Amino acid sequence: MSLKLRKNLRSWTVTIILMVIGLLCIYPFIFMISSSFKISADVLGKPLQIIPDKFILSNYTDLFGDPYYDFAQWYKNTIVMVVTTIVLKVFIITYTAYGFAKIKFKGNGVLFLILMSALMIPGDIMLIPRYSIFKNLHILDSMWSLVLPSCFDIYFVFMLRQAFIAIPDSISEAAEIDGCHHFTIYSRIILPLAKPSIVTMVLFTFVWSWNDYMGPYIYISTISKQMLSVGIKLFTEGQVADPALQMSSATLVLIPILILFFFTQRYFVEGSTSSAVKG
Amino acid sequence: MQAETKTKKYNRQKRENRYGAMFVTPYICGFILFQGLPFLIAIGLAFTNVRYISKIHDAKFIGFGNFIKMFHDQTTMDALGRTALYSLLYVPLIMIIGFTMAYLVNKGIHFKNLVRSMFFLPYVANMVAVSVVFTLLLGPKGPFIKALLAIGVENPPFFLYDMKTALPTVVCIAVWKGVGLNLITYLAALQGVSGDLLEAAEIDGAGKIKRILHVIIPMVSPTTFFLLISSVITSLQNLTIIQVLTQGGPGQSTTVMSINIIRTAFTRFETGYASAQAVVMFVIVMVFTIIQWQGQKKWVNY
Repeated sequence: MSLKLRKNLRSWTVTIILMVIGLLCIYPFIFMISSSFKISADVLGKPLQIIPDKFILSNYTDLFGDPYYDFAQWYKNTIVMVVTTIVLKVFIITYTAYGFAKIKFKGNGVLFLILMSALMIPGDIMLIPRYSIFKNLHILDSMWSLVLPSCFDIYFVFMLRQAFIAIPDSISEAAEIDGCHHFTIYSRIILPLAKPSIVTMVLFTFVWSWNDYMGPYIYISTISKQMLSVGIKLFTEGQVADPALQMSSATLVLIPILILFFFTQRYFVEGSTSSAVKG
Repeated sequence: MQAETKTKKYNRQKRENRYGAMFVTPYICGFILFQGLPFLIAIGLAFTNVRYISKIHDAKFIGFGNFIKMFHDQTTMDALGRTALYSLLYVPLIMIIGFTMAYLVNKGIHFKNLVRSMFFLPYVANMVAVSVVFTLLLGPKGPFIKALLAIGVENPPFFLYDMKTALPTVVCIAVWKGVGLNLITYLAALQGVSGDLLEAAEIDGAGKIKRILHVIIPMVSPTTFFLLISSVITSLQNLTIIQVLTQGGPGQSTTVMSINIIRTAFTRFETGYASAQAVVMFVIVMVFTIIQWQGQKKWVNY
């Protein structure tokens, strides 16, 4: 009995210690959200106060009413860009992964190996040449310069090919005997069965595209075509020294991710351990 | 009869080849355009004197000129040194904290999923939002400096605004942001460590520290190996985090290679030279990965 009690006591002690560290870990986000509802003076005046004296919404209405910075437009641009990326990427990546996983064409293995070796190339090295390629394709200063490279991501071809291979061939072979060809097997059988992996890809794509900063920073120059990340950065570096407004603008770019994460933590955590997603 | 099956098989292979082409060709085209070609151009540009990226057709071949210039360029050499310092701080910190946290979480605590999610949250957060918040929190009027003053620290450091502390502060923020991934990867590995083995070690009289050092750490060494390689690579891809936090400042104190490359290319307009620097970084990453790959036999147990 006393051993059990001691064990219990110890596990609660560790829990409490980890909870405190965890809370410190998310304190910046708590601070950010609570400050965005405070009056400016209280942001740094009462940094530990989590529930504001009075909830005010003016930090948000001021942002959307700003004459120089068009937050609504940036929001719209980012949503359109992210949704386009996800829709195209899911189609392109799953379609290709099916080819590599389920069709025994000549050269399959070699071709796939070449793709995998390209996984080693760090993205930074391509920032400069891509600029000139985008210019020649006339997609510089448009969202396509962010959408297209993401759609031809190598990592997810690898991940989905793995997921498709895990689906037993006997299922698709049975369908083939019934007269189905590859397009039907791909769309009717494989896609529905690989749903969890596809969801993981969608979530990570959402996070990466939404959070992308260097892409829009380098390739997009017109302010009305800019994305939220860069927009917020311009705004907070600009004339504004108002801490409450800075916090509400930061909340604006973070909140969709927080909501998404809140409802889909399981997919994030399992997705990153099962295949160790790249940073 | 046999000939017939052979023709059938041949026809089937031909059909598979045709389908294969239909399924992978579109991707291969996009891959060449957005991944393969940029990589080759980067290497090509490194040997030219191109200045403005838009005037790429004026390129003139100058051999190893850019690489030689790099070793005489003090700014770039300093940036290289800072990159090394950044990695030397970042990698051990994220590895040790990640393992320790995972070990504690794995000890059978309550609210495991909640704790895990709290540590993982910074990993998915938007870097711009993070930088805005930290600039304020660590700023001269922020709560951190006030707290330090309150407990009697005479000259508190100005974190991101101080030449001496800016780089370590950036590293700490980077570790805070990235450690969640290491934690959950280690957690998955720790859950695979057999309880029988630990019990056997305990019966043999191995104390807690001994069990960690001689049983647990060797058991998770494949994960350590994987995380070590990916953490080194992440530590070199620090462009976004530094660009939004300090833009390489104050002074040059956080100008690491990635920042130096972007500056060379897009503010000083020396595209060829910037590409040469990027190629050098790529080679360094490759060399490190190969060394680690070779060295793994000595300490990784599969």
